[in-house]
Amino acid sequence: MKEFSLLRVGQFIRRDITIYKSTFVVGLLVGVVLVFLFCALNMMWDQQLSMDEFFGVFGLIYIPMGVLFTFVIFKEFNNTSANQLYLTIPISIPERLIAKWLTVTVIYTVVYSVLAVMTGILALLFGVVIRGVDFDVPSLFSIQYWNVLKVYFLVQPLFLVGAIAFRKNRIGKTLLSLGILVLGFMLFNFFLFGIFNHDYGLFSGDPIVSEAFDATSLYFSSLGRWFYGILLGPLLLIVAYFKMKEKEV
Amino acid sequence: MLTVKHLNFNYPKSRSVLQSINLDFTAGNIYGLFGKNGEGKSTLLKIMSGLLFPKHGSCSLDGYEMRKRDVQSLQHIFLVPEDFELPALSIRSFEKVQSCFYPLFSKTQFYQLIEEFQLSPNNIISKLSFGQKKKVLIAFGIATNTKLLLMDEPTNGLDIPSKSQFRKVMASVVDENKCIVISTHQVRDLHSLINHVVVLDNGRIAFDQSLDKVSDGLWFGKQPSNDTMEPIYSESSFGGKAIVPRLDKNETEVDLELLFNGILGAPDKIKEVMNQTQQNERV
Repeated sequence: MKEFSLLRVGQFIRRDITIYKSTFVVGLLVGVVLVFLFCALNMMWDQQLSMDEFFGVFGLIYIPMGVLFTFVIFKEFNNTSANQLYLTIPISIPERLIAKWLTVTVIYTVVYSVLAVMTGILALLFGVVIRGVDFDVPSLFSIQYWNVLKVYFLVQPLFLVGAIAFRKNRIGKTLLSLGILVLGFMLFNFFLFGIFNHDYGLFSGDPIVSEAFDATSLYFSSLGRWFYGILLGPLLLIVAYFKMKEKEV
Repeated sequence: MLTVKHLNFNYPKSRSVLQSINLDFTAGNIYGLFGKNGEGKSTLLKIMSGLLFPKHGSCSLDGYEMRKRDVQSLQHIFLVPEDFELPALSIRSFEKVQSCFYPLFSKTQFYQLIEEFQLSPNNIISKLSFGQKKKVLIAFGIATNTKLLLMDEPTNGLDIPSKSQFRKVMASVVDENKCIVISTHQVRDLHSLINHVVVLDNGRIAFDQSLDKVSDGLWFGKQPSNDTMEPIYSESSFGGKAIVPRLDKNETEVDLELLFNGILGAPDKIKEVMNQTQQNERV
């Protein structure tokens, strides 16, 4: 018997989608309505809906809703009445984790993107008819779209760990942890900056200091991107794996 | 099949719940796991299904450590918990999304049991009473055809006709490849169903015997007035019923409730008689 089977991953995704179907449908409908409203309001302002504006609206709904879905999909995991049945389903922890992750990242992203772009086009048509706005169709191949996705794929594992780790007040506790983590990273970066630049007198209050900060963020950005973008997400998924492995009812 | 060795368990910052538990559950048996409230019956079942991890010792199913929750072990075990929550789906949808994980699941058996429990596949589970939900889960658990079926207080929430229906169903599903462990404090509910008794007391195994051996060693009933033998245990509330060493008396049906009270009230005497019986059998 294999401990990893794509068939079981698929079956588990189907199970989750069936169980939370109504939550997902209502959430996506709310998202669609909000995208339409925000786009329409935006067009009223300046008779246009630029790519930046559309994907700004897109991200405003996409990221918080994805985070909420992440908490919904792990509801059974920490619910004391439901988790006995849930944890004894014959599926391995990697399969369980991958199924959950795929549902709230890949599947959610595909479904929401298609719906949001269609809604955006509908809002544009509405704008063209009512206000004569420029018809600039939002594209899923634009850099703005992929930037929003990058942010979501970066922060989502953190909320996934929060959804697994905390039994009660999961969203609040995760946000608090995130705040502390960000503060910690900021202090860490600040200390690193201080250690490496102390000899240059960069804490003297000279205006050059802000320039130095800007230069540092520019030069270290690729390193930072590698660390935060490539390593942090998978690292958090590993943390999620061990949290699931250690889980007792 | 399932082996528990030198198992110790306690909840965080709490006294020991289970101490030095050694048990061996074998196929072809229905075990009754008895104990007073809070003696650790549910805890033991949770450890047996990998939901809690032993502090010391081990619990393994055919060599697979249950705490690892491997697919190999979970496919052969199903737990019907005392308290549970099922998804708000129809019985049919629940079966569709859940049964695919159990390779030996029988749809026919499941729907037959659902019909026997007077439920319809179109019933929405969340709209059913607790007893009906329990019937859905019992039917599902049986239909998974796992080697080991664990049931924690399965008769809680069932009305009187459903309890006898439960006994009937359980008696019909046991076979030589299957092991069923039923934990309860309502000893009477398992009357004529189990063939092995395990009693937990003070976190330890107070009794672990097959009913055949109990019948061989102990006699249950109202002692005739001319019988001078001192009872091992007797209780006026049972109409003067007593447990006495069987010796040359006719075999009686094991009175589970009396046996349970006897094990808790006079554990040493019962153990002594059972040991004596086993020695005599060997000779």
